[in-house]
Order: sequence, then C-alpha cells, then structure tokens
Amino acid sequence: QDLAKKNTANKQVVESRRRLLAEWLAWRESMIEMLKEEGAIIELNGGRIVREGEDEDDAAEEIE
Amino acid sequence: MRPILLSGHERALTQVKYNSDGDIIFSVSKDHVIGAWYSHNGERLGTYHGHQGALWTVDVDPTSTLLASGGADNTMRLWEVKTGKLLKTWDFLTSIKRVEFSSDGRQLLGVTEKRSGQLGTIVVYEINPDPEAEQTDEQTIRIVCEEAKPTVAGFSYQAQYIIAGHEDGTVSQWDAKSGEFLYSTQVHEADMLITDLQWAPDRTYFITASKDKTAKILATDSLEVLKTFTTDTPLNSAAITPNKDYVILGGGQAAMDVTTTNARQGKFEARFYHKIFMEEIGRVRGHFGPLNYVAVHPLGTGYCSGGEDGYVRVHHFDKPYFDFLYEVEREQRQQQASL
Repeated sequence: QDLAKKNTANKQVVESRRRLLAEWLAWRESMIEMLKEEGAIIELNGGRIVREGEDEDDAAEEIE
Repeated sequence: MRPILLSGHERALTQVKYNSDGDIIFSVSKDHVIGAWYSHNGERLGTYHGHQGALWTVDVDPTSTLLASGGADNTMRLWEVKTGKLLKTWDFLTSIKRVEFSSDGRQLLGVTEKRSGQLGTIVVYEINPDPEAEQTDEQTIRIVCEEAKPTVAGFSYQAQYIIAGHEDGTVSQWDAKSGEFLYSTQVHEADMLITDLQWAPDRTYFITASKDKTAKILATDSLEVLKTFTTDTPLNSAAITPNKDYVILGGGQAAMDVTTTNARQGKFEARFYHKIFMEEIGRVRGHFGPLNYVAVHPLGTGYCSGGEDGYVRVHHFDKPYFDFLYEVEREQRQQQASL
C-alpha cells in the first residue's frame, strides 16, 4: 500500500513537472515570436551584437 | 569543476561582469580599483585607476569597447576597455549603485543613492560608441523615485522599458523612451531590499534577488512572477544561465550578523536551482564570506562569483553539468526530435 502511495506521489511530481515544462516552453515561444515581430535582432541572437562579416546563423550556432 | 581564484583585490568584491564574448571578466571592489581578467586562466589583463572611493558597479558595452563604472565617490565613469583611458566622468550628489548599458550599447543607465535630502534616481545618457568621441552631459531621462529608492535597474529588450528593483521589495517599470511611469508591483517581502536584477539573454524576463531569501523570475512585459526560488539565506545576487535551464543564486549572512563565523554556518555557497522546476540541484562552496555577486559566462560555459572575502572565483562547467536533464526534459526532447 505504501508503495502504491509512493507511486501516486511520484506520478504527481512528474505530472506537475511536465506541466511546468510545457507552460514554460509555450511562453518562451510566444516571447520569441514577439521579438521577431519587433525585429529585435540583438535579443534574438542571445543578447550579442551581430558583427559585420559574421553571419547571424553562425553566431546562433555558436551559442547552441 | 576546479575554480580559478582571482586574487588581486584588497577588499570585498561588489560586482563582476563578463564581456559579451565571455573571454574577459571585469571586477569592482571596495578597494577603488576596477580589474580586468582573462576568464580562461585568470590572468590579470589590467586595472583601471581613478575612482576615489569604494566601487559598487561595473558594466561593459556589447562590443567590449567601453566600460562603465560607478561608486561611492559620487561619479559614474566611462573608460576605454583596450587602453584603460578615462573617457568621461559624470558627477552626482550621491553614490552610484548601479550602471548598465542597453543591449545595443547606445544608452547607459545609472542608479543614484538616496542620501541627505537627495532622492534616489535613475538617469540615462546616450552613449557614442566611438571612444574618440565626446560624450554628452545631457540626461535623456531622469526618473526620481519618491516612494522607495531604487537599488538596481536595467533596460529591457530593445530598451523599451526601464525596470528597477527597490529597497521595499517592489519592482517598477517605466517607458524607456519617455520616462513615463507604467507600473509597480510588490514582488519580494515588504521592506526587504532587492539586491540584484539580472536579465535573461533576450531580456524578455529577468531574475531578482532579495534579502527575503528568495529569488524570482518575472516577465518583462507584465511583471508577473513566473518562478520563485526559496533559500535559507539572504541573497545578494541571482543569475540566469544560457543553454541550460538553471539559475545561480549567491548570498550568505554577513559575519557580523551571525554568532559563529565559519563558512558552513554562513552558507557561503553558490546555489544552483532548476529554472523551470524551481528545485535546488546543487551547491558550490569556496568563499569565506557572503557572495556579493554571481555572473554567468554569456555562452553558458561557466560562471564567476565575487565575494565579501575579496576573491573572485571562476568556474568552468564540466560535462555532468551539461548532461544533466530531468526525465520530463529528456522525454520532451525525444518528442521534439521525433516530430
């Protein structure tokens, strides 16, 4: 019975984390959309200025 | 994760900052000196002399050309990073508690202390990125905080807002173009100082640290509290890590506030929390006094902390740090990959 209880508790923890993660990722996506609409180039590049001769995609890759 | 110790300062560190490439760390201390260090090996690159009092704050522009500093000598100063040349001194009636560049480096903000009949203010200057150019004396914005003094402040994404943390635990938002007040909200416990405000890389959210022993993540637009991190010690600093969803918190009880002053009881540890799940995942010991500031490498490869003990400790993360994932994160990634 204790084991059953524990499993339910664990399940709840996992469910709650799953929900937190989904909520966070959805909010982040909406923020990135907003920055794209605003043309926020520096912010979309992780706060780094894109320098001349440096391709935007290259800089983004470096951050990954 | 063997740390590198930067021992060049003679008194407590107050702020440490990486430049945007992450190869240089700038440090300020109560010893009046600004230090510059190579982050990979801790070698000292140089010092910037001129301030006549304790330094509270430092920031570097996004191209690593200009450095701003502020302190107890009631001046905010601008330096050329490469040569150490003092380019500009702005004089005030009280000390400068915080300086910060906008994400494009074209604006510089300063927070002035409240003292002897002077209210706390937030001032903004346009910055000419050319180190040869004359810098302006004219403030584009001057915000006077009549209710509660500001302790920390910065520019949001695209310098749309100025956001400040206050001595009474509130966070406020202004239009950064007009200086118009927009909104204020009680975020931390009343009369508990907000000690730090650091941005996410894209400045759409930020983290605040407080003496109320918590750190909180807020949305820049709505000032809604998205996450709360609860600790057992007053916090001086909080940073958001890029790449990995962690936050790093630093603080500790000052020696005079605790009966026994050993490191264990003072809780002089950097604490890592999961940013999304708000759970503590680890601690890093080392300092012999409170951590006054934590800064994260802009590429997320390490962090550094400045302590009341006069040391900067630089840490490079190892593989387990990058590999660590909660099961639900792993699951989410697999789903993403299979789409």
